Amino acid sequence: MLFNSLNFAIFLPIVFILYWFVAKNNVKFQNVLLLIASYFFYACWDWRFMFLLMFSTLLDYVTGLKMQNAENQKGKRFWFWLSIITNLGFLAVFKYYNFFAESFTKVVSQIGWEISPMLINVILPVGISFYTFHGLSYVIDIYNNKIKAEKNIIDYAVFVSFFPLLVAGPIERATHLLPQIKKERKFDYTKSVDGLRQILWGLFKKIVIADSCAEYVNLTFNSSIEVSGIDLLIGAFFFSFQIYGDFSGYSDIALGTARLFGIDLLRNFAFPYFSRDIAEFWRRWHISLSSWFKDYLYIPLGGSKGGNWMRIRNTFIIFIVSGFWHGANWTFIAWGILNALFIMPSILFKSNRNNIEIVAKGKYLPSLKDFIQISITFTLVTFLWIFFRAENITHAFNYIYNIFSISFFTIPTILSKRLALLITFLMFIEWVGRDEQYAIAKIGLQWNKIMRWSFYLAIAYTVMLHFGSKEEFIYFQF
Amino acid sequence: MKKLIKQVFIFTFIITVLFTITLLRANNGYSDPFYKRFTSPKQESLIIGTSKAAQGLQPSAFKKYFSKNIYNYSFTIVHSPYGIVYYNSIKKKLKENTKNGLFILTVDPWSISSNTKNPNDSKNFTENDLCLAYTSSVNINPNLEYIFEKFSGKYYKLFSQTDKSMFLHDDGWLEVTAEMDSLSVTKRKNEKINTYKKENLPNFKLSEFRLKYLKKTIQFLKLHGDVYLLRMPIHPDFFKLEQKLMPQFNEVISEIVPLTNGYLDLTTTNSKYTYIDGIHLWKESGLLVSEVVANWVAKKEKSE
Repeated sequence: MLFNSLNFAIFLPIVFILYWFVAKNNVKFQNVLLLIASYFFYACWDWRFMFLLMFSTLLDYVTGLKMQNAENQKGKRFWFWLSIITNLGFLAVFKYYNFFAESFTKVVSQIGWEISPMLINVILPVGISFYTFHGLSYVIDIYNNKIKAEKNIIDYAVFVSFFPLLVAGPIERATHLLPQIKKERKFDYTKSVDGLRQILWGLFKKIVIADSCAEYVNLTFNSSIEVSGIDLLIGAFFFSFQIYGDFSGYSDIALGTARLFGIDLLRNFAFPYFSRDIAEFWRRWHISLSSWFKDYLYIPLGGSKGGNWMRIRNTFIIFIVSGFWHGANWTFIAWGILNALFIMPSILFKSNRNNIEIVAKGKYLPSLKDFIQISITFTLVTFLWIFFRAENITHAFNYIYNIFSISFFTIPTILSKRLALLITFLMFIEWVGRDEQYAIAKIGLQWNKIMRWSFYLAIAYTVMLHFGSKEEFIYFQF
Repeated sequence: MKKLIKQVFIFTFIITVLFTITLLRANNGYSDPFYKRFTSPKQESLIIGTSKAAQGLQPSAFKKYFSKNIYNYSFTIVHSPYGIVYYNSIKKKLKENTKNGLFILTVDPWSISSNTKNPNDSKNFTENDLCLAYTSSVNINPNLEYIFEKFSGKYYKLFSQTDKSMFLHDDGWLEVTAEMDSLSVTKRKNEKINTYKKENLPNFKLSEFRLKYLKKTIQFLKLHGDVYLLRMPIHPDFFKLEQKLMPQFNEVISEIVPLTNGYLDLTTTNSKYTYIDGIHLWKESGLLVSEVVANWVAKKEKSE
């Protein structure tokens, strides 16, 4: 069930009404209802993979309790590694097995051995990377004595499979979400309206911006040999907006939906395209994944404590792993490596924490320096997205090579006035609302009711006009 | 909570009204090559066939010869070959109490063939999954069923005029505009021929099932007026392909002709006309052909 589907538009109000009217203020009933709704939501994709989700949930629930009750460190370690290996094993089989098998075959064929790889014909269970990471953080936190194991299996299962975050995050932490699941939740009008507003903005980003950009992006990336250099460049910039609209739009819908049920999820995006350097970009893009890798990989590896070499090594490791997390393709690994390279100067010169606050805080416009830095960062990020979007490394290099061809100096054919206008509107609203959790969180609150409603209706109307043939969310495949 | 539900309800209501008004005003002909055919009223006279007829036969040409309006209810070779789906849709489009209707059914080897392994396996016909099969109401404006289920693209395209290469007229004629210099025409024709040779010719076979439904369609329409069969002109290169596909086409059709008021085969004049891609008549030639057909039908009607 897609967030941008009629099915979800029916599903959500039903669950909402049952949650607040039938389960009312009884947290146990509310959680049972959320669990049933979440499993139903997941089963709508492929009910068979629901059993994998259930198994993964049960495994981490049991190993969590076993670790807590273990009599000695050895026993605790056993259960810890059982969970880690099993979780990563599922991920490896479903997501990476074919990639490794094919890569191995290519390598051995270089030395003259011809073998045919045994590939498995299985589709990637939607959301596996996300719920596996939920489970891993829970198990690691128990192992490190940061949290106590959850005794109530329903509460734990809701933590893993809460439907707004189930298939594309944000990647939650037990320390943040579990206490909210266990706590009594009462209806809060302001919070619910805020949630609806965030859903509306998420739908705008996904349906209006991302899906519109997708038409042009597909054209340029699928025919990169025939398309002119200038069109390829425009296509690359459109992909920057597509992936931002797609993923941050999804996150906004997820956060807004969770808020309707009285639950606050972790923030996933903080206006990343207004970043002044790559380090700032990575503090603002897919925050829940970046912080996950920081806490569970970068810091355990020693972080930045061991001098420059340690810092360089660890930075490369987390970016390569992060790239690989996105998909079993060398393009994602290249994307990770290039990100590490681009961030390296600021790490070596210790300027990676220069830009913590949002740009031009409290001002209408950025300074010239800020503007130049934002433009450079955005261009670099766009360059990196080419690797992310390309079919393979050769495709990515060809795409870049073809941009710098003589056809760069021709009149663009894919420049759409409508899309340019919509992107300008998006960036304007995002700029105005950049101090808030999401762009339209406060816009219009001071206006009179007619103005405010007109603003929301205009956005909703634009969204309606951009419905039609549906594009899946890019991040579902991860 | 009641306040929130009330506000959501009002918001949804306003948006629904706005959207419906937009849809009512948006039916401009550029949006989609089929949509208007599902929003126009029921008709008394119809042109039936595939894209050859949809693009090639212009109902306006018939006005000179007939007082009644004829509506072009043709789609494509994929959507509207003869069969259950098209038959049912034609029944829906026809005004129930029609007595003196005029029906022109275009026929060619493709419209009575199928690319299913068993050409009579009607359960697996391609058109079963397309808009004609799924649009239960064909005369309602706005046609929400079509828009939500089968409209191709985003809804703003319902009133945008960015793609001006195709325009669906109120009378059902699909006007196609294309570069008509000899280089472009030859390129399009060669591409089309290659596709037909590689993908269609080896897979299509005469379907007795489709033939049965052609007869059924004729029998049904005969209850409501006069039925004429027409074989549209086609580029000589494509005509050769059609001959290869079904050398016995004339014999097949000759069995059906007695059920109708007449049959006109215009493939004898193939080289007289200009084609967009070898299959579809260029609009100027389409007008000429439409006049020839209208004139022929008018003479037939008079003589009867």
